[in-house]
Amino acid sequence: MDFVGFQQELAHAPATERHTHNRWEPYVDNGGTSLAIAGADYVIVASDARQSNGYNINSRYDPKAFRLSNDAILATAGYAADAKRLVEVLEQNAQMYYHKHDRVMKASAMAQMLSNTLYGRRFFPYYVFPILAGLDNEGKGALYCYDPVGNMERVVYRSFGSASALVQPFLDSVVGFKNQRGVDPTRLLERDQALKIAVDAFTGATERDIHTGDWLDIFIVDRNGVTHEKRELKHD
Amino acid sequence: MFLTRSEYDRGVNTFSPEGRLFQVEYAIEAIKLGTTALGIRTNEGVILAVEKRVTSSLLVADSIEKILEIDTHVACAMSGHTADSRTMIEHARVEAQNHTFTYEEPIPVESVTQAVCDLALRFGEGADGQDSTMSRPFGVALLIAGVDERGPQLYHTDPSGTFWRYEAKAIGAGSEGAQTELQEQYHRDITLNEAEILALKVLKQVMEEKLSNTNVQLAKVTKEGGYHIYTEDELQAVISQM
Repeated sequence: MDFVGFQQELAHAPATERHTHNRWEPYVDNGGTSLAIAGADYVIVASDARQSNGYNINSRYDPKAFRLSNDAILATAGYAADAKRLVEVLEQNAQMYYHKHDRVMKASAMAQMLSNTLYGRRFFPYYVFPILAGLDNEGKGALYCYDPVGNMERVVYRSFGSASALVQPFLDSVVGFKNQRGVDPTRLLERDQALKIAVDAFTGATERDIHTGDWLDIFIVDRNGVTHEKRELKHD
Repeated sequence: MFLTRSEYDRGVNTFSPEGRLFQVEYAIEAIKLGTTALGIRTNEGVILAVEKRVTSSLLVADSIEKILEIDTHVACAMSGHTADSRTMIEHARVEAQNHTFTYEEPIPVESVTQAVCDLALRFGEGADGQDSTMSRPFGVALLIAGVDERGPQLYHTDPSGTFWRYEAKAIGAGSEGAQTELQEQYHRDITLNEAEILALKVLKQVMEEKLSNTNVQLAKVTKEGGYHIYTEDELQAVISQM
């Protein structure tokens, strides 16, 4: 289920309940978009940094992609407060794992642990759509995406968030080579191509989606570690 | 060693004025009454071998199990009060399965060993937050063999909750002689096949009965095949190489 689906489900609550005053609202959609693309020996993650609530902007730089101590990146979308708590839980688990087993947690191990963490809150979920990025045991780019209750899927590229309905079809075309003749749909992109596509996707998403914009955090993970760069998006 | 009993013999968790926990020390003594068990680490995998005391011709030798699987990549051999090991192995198995469930990867061998040792001192009244399952220390020592990303490993645990990593280790009644023999025969590039033979040769030296394919158990843990316990035929094949 994506953002829209999740919201529709909330909207299906009985009308009387919806209009009740002072009802406890545990969830907020803070907008924003994340995307990630995996390559043969790298993975790239991009998230905008605008944090909004309806027509209001809470912050122009509130990152929603996080670098974890095991050089994995967690990109999020949805409710910013839940995302931050989720990162704390993950990071604490990673630290405990490091001390208990005397080794750094692999991205694959963290991927399964994240799924369990999310499912552990099956009946009061973190309202977060996470994408976990890292390298697999062979050094290939590995992306795992989740719904808020922990359904996990390893993918080659994915976008979540307020502009995902714009970005995902774009990625389907230029990264997944969907519905095209004479191309190898399993072909992986070179790093510079992927970077260009990520930036273009956000330039376009910023034009059309009011919740996406301001700044773009880009993380690239490869065998040498993590690089981070911050680019400007339109502020309007 | 412990000729005179003192009041410190009574409380299982009471230090004597010299700083000793008598009950733990007695538990370590109990292992010296057990059948001999030994492990040999090679670069290809780890060999575990145990002696079975078949005290009667009416005893079904198969019913004596002193090498058990903890996970597909970890096994353990025991000596001492083997019934005590059930709690420890159950704990180790649960820990291994939990790890696989949580992280979708095999648990490191050292972590299994640590998990077992965490249990060892949970006797007596039980500290805050943990309930003790035992009124006394475990009377069993384990040889834990396994393979993980750090390669083949062999650990020895004792009732004090301490563990050590060994290239080759013998425990139980014949451990002194067996350990001396292992020390002489072990070399770092020993093959798995050489280790199989050495394990049985050493056992043979310390056993009272004549070694056969029914009164010893042999197991290996390798990167490729994981845990494997030898059948009587496989055991016979090794015996014929001796």
